[in-house]
Amino acid sequence: MIFAQAAKCLGNIGRSFSWAWLDTVCRYRRSKIGPIWETINILFLVGGMTVVSSAVIGGRPAQNLPYIGLGMITWTAISALVNDGTSTFLINASYITGSTMPIDLYIGRTVCKSFITFCHHIVLYVLALIFLPVYFGWLSLFSLVGLALLFINGYWMVGVLAFLSARFRDLEMIVRNLMQVAFFVTPIFWSHTLLVGARRAIVDWNPFFYFLELVRRPLLGELPPFYFYIVVLSMTALGYALLYLVYRRLRPYLPLFV
Amino acid sequence: MTHVRLAHVEVKIPIYEGAARRFIRLPSLSRARVGSADVTRSPGVLWVHALHDLTLSLAEGERVAVIGPNGAGKTTLLRVLAGIYPCSSGIRELSGSVGALLAANMALNSDATGYENIRLVSTLEGWPKDRLKDYIADIEEFTELGEYLGLPLRVYSAGMAARLSFAMATIRAPDILLIDENIGAGDAQFQEKARRRVDQFLGRVKIIVIASHSTELLRSICRKGLLLDGGKMEFFGALDQALALYARIGQRPAAAAR
Repeated sequence: MIFAQAAKCLGNIGRSFSWAWLDTVCRYRRSKIGPIWETINILFLVGGMTVVSSAVIGGRPAQNLPYIGLGMITWTAISALVNDGTSTFLINASYITGSTMPIDLYIGRTVCKSFITFCHHIVLYVLALIFLPVYFGWLSLFSLVGLALLFINGYWMVGVLAFLSARFRDLEMIVRNLMQVAFFVTPIFWSHTLLVGARRAIVDWNPFFYFLELVRRPLLGELPPFYFYIVVLSMTALGYALLYLVYRRLRPYLPLFV
Repeated sequence: MTHVRLAHVEVKIPIYEGAARRFIRLPSLSRARVGSADVTRSPGVLWVHALHDLTLSLAEGERVAVIGPNGAGKTTLLRVLAGIYPCSSGIRELSGSVGALLAANMALNSDATGYENIRLVSTLEGWPKDRLKDYIADIEEFTELGEYLGLPLRVYSAGMAARLSFAMATIRAPDILLIDENIGAGDAQFQEKARRRVDQFLGRVKIIVIASHSTELLRSICRKGLLLDGGKMEFFGALDQALALYARIGQRPAAAAR
């Protein structure tokens, strides 16, 4: 029963992607350089963060750039999943109350949208590979595992947050604020090695840290410790269990309160 | 065997208020004067009783017009039939595929063109790919929108959007077709076409339920009428009788109607 439903959701991902794709295409239609804006935005963000971080924390900007750049790109994807997750059902409210389309199409629409945006940003990494002495080798491939895990987990995050924040309208604001704090306490533009002793708890108990490192470390030529994968896989299992519970509890009533 | 059965269905729509513990006093629902058959209160929630004890059975071949004043529960009834709203109590039984045209506009993206929207709907609803060309030709022929199909939906008039939505919703002839209001937005010529289309696939569509204020349209498509008032089914039988009763309700003062 659950498996049949899961298989259906999996099949619907392709459909969600078409929807997210059309959203993206339409967004660019009236812009002169369209998709390049996304890339330019993240370029400026990364450039600024690198300069500031190098001045405050130390190191040469050219050395810090790949670390901070990949950190920012991955973090942008994580925070897009979490933040857009909260508004997923609210922006689709008219379809939820007006059509019989399955609910996972909306979740997929948000996940695919963040994935498409991520693809714009990763162009920057490709450019860096060409023009800067950035590591590239077999280990880089491991970041694909990290990426897959990130978006697989993104699906339950979006789902859970979509249901809960459709019912509890304060959640959207709470999440948005927490994500702002998370940006600073996650080692995106600073290294986790700066933390010693009890302060390590900031990263050890930070779920985002593990997702970030599974994507970033292999791209910089370092394999993440094995237990990082265990942590993320456990989060995946727990997350989908949570999604199932929330779905069971709230799905029937969603059109009444969305 | 296609059929629809509702037994003692009640629908209560919750209105949650989170204002209970706010520091700043804002206009809140907690002082709304409620306490009637239509609206009741439980802690933190107002309940709007949209449908009261509704029992209904529709068999193959029935074409039902749902009529009643604004707020009578017409849309709610259609949403219950479509399986969008859950029943607070009572039983809903339905066998057969459902096609619902409930939102004023089925457009999935108003910045996208008519064709793009058609293609997206075809993907989301899983129309067979090899027939897509025929479907598009059919929609072109039926909607008579011509070059507008190549323009963004936001420039369509309400009637044009209604034509497109109706064409898309009816293209595959579901067993049970539910339509709310929106074909009323079409002009006389379109309503005639809509009637012919409904007649044409009457062999395939087994049950039709339409809510509308257009008496002419209802007369041309339906034989039976279901009169709703204040969430209760006042009458279900011959359309002429239902319309006559409805006219009598209209003559009563609004306050007495409840």
